[in-house]
Amino acid sequence: MSNSRSSVFDGLLRENTVLSSLLVISPVIMCGDTLRNAEALVYAFSVITFFSVMIASFVPKKLPYAVKIIIYAVISSLIYIPVRIVTQEYFPGIVARIGIYFPLLAVNSLIVVQTETKFFRMKKLKMTFSLIFSILGFDAVMLLTAVIRELLAYGTINSKVVDMHTLISGLGMPFGGFIFLGLMCGLYRKIRSMAGYEDNKVRSEENVSGN
Amino acid sequence: MFLVTELIALLAANLILTQALGTSTLFIAAGSRKNLVGTAVVITIFTTAGSLAAYIIQRELPEKYSYLTLLFYTLSVGILYVILLSALYFISRKGFEKTRKYIHLSAYNCAVMGTLFTITEKAQNDASFMTLKSFFLAGLSSGAGFIIAALILTAAYRKLNSAKVPASFRGFPAMLVYLGIISMAVYALR
Repeated sequence: MSNSRSSVFDGLLRENTVLSSLLVISPVIMCGDTLRNAEALVYAFSVITFFSVMIASFVPKKLPYAVKIIIYAVISSLIYIPVRIVTQEYFPGIVARIGIYFPLLAVNSLIVVQTETKFFRMKKLKMTFSLIFSILGFDAVMLLTAVIRELLAYGTINSKVVDMHTLISGLGMPFGGFIFLGLMCGLYRKIRSMAGYEDNKVRSEENVSGN
Repeated sequence: MFLVTELIALLAANLILTQALGTSTLFIAAGSRKNLVGTAVVITIFTTAGSLAAYIIQRELPEKYSYLTLLFYTLSVGILYVILLSALYFISRKGFEKTRKYIHLSAYNCAVMGTLFTITEKAQNDASFMTLKSFFLAGLSSGAGFIIAALILTAAYRKLNSAKVPASFRGFPAMLVYLGIISMAVYALR
């Protein structure tokens, strides 16, 4: 029971989607510099990924690997359309600011890689919870990164000015995103090893070798 | 001098170093020479052929249906995916077994889809870019950019994974910081 329970929470803590598996890192690096961007991305990522994986779970398992991946990508591309419309309504201007990273969320690794290598190997209920925690794993890292980078790079939180004496403007740039995420990954690993979890290589080419 | 200028231009427009597209695939590609060659070749095929498909979609898709762009790009990459796998299967079964993992890895990769959207964005901002040749060259240079980024990472791969690096930072975290430093240098070139 305990094993099963811990694996359900893996995407959030032990095998965090971003910090451990290094999945969906481009939006975190490029758009995770303000809380406003992060909120829009978190909403879009969560809705697109959840509904895409849930609907994709009904795709027959007997189909060839490549065909299934194409169907999953098409499903998420269709879900992207209403999500984009709603985002334009509630986060005006954000879609333009996030640019190409918004549609790229629809073909994220959780949908086109982890479905076959992880989620669809589980029973439905367990898969649903595991998926929710994997999404939350991305959401948590995205929001945390955005808050810290916005504060240190621009001296604001959610566009509200905070009294900061020293700003590190480079953190708002892509290279700042790379370095900050690298440091967060290292810190996360340190905490994980202190908690007694063994370090293992989560994402390898075997994960995507297909059938 | 021409080569140096071209190299600087490729670095400055590099999708991985400037836009973080396909970073996690790059880590896999940089792991070994075999992976590097396999992934780089397949990604270049996808970005180049995908760019040609993107050109046709952009030319034929009316403005009012622009929200369908992602769907059409997904379908065109899907078609390329099937064509590439089928071609490889009929050419050589042995080659198919060896290479298919690179095709699976590259098809819906951020580097490929990101290239299509970056080129599209460029064409929308600059009408003179809206030619088949421009799309083709942009797709090809994206693939070349991936190869350059992979070579840069490969050069430091062993050291970043060596025992001299603290265990918590060994591997992915160190590689991210390293890419950040290279990205900073590339930023200065722009």
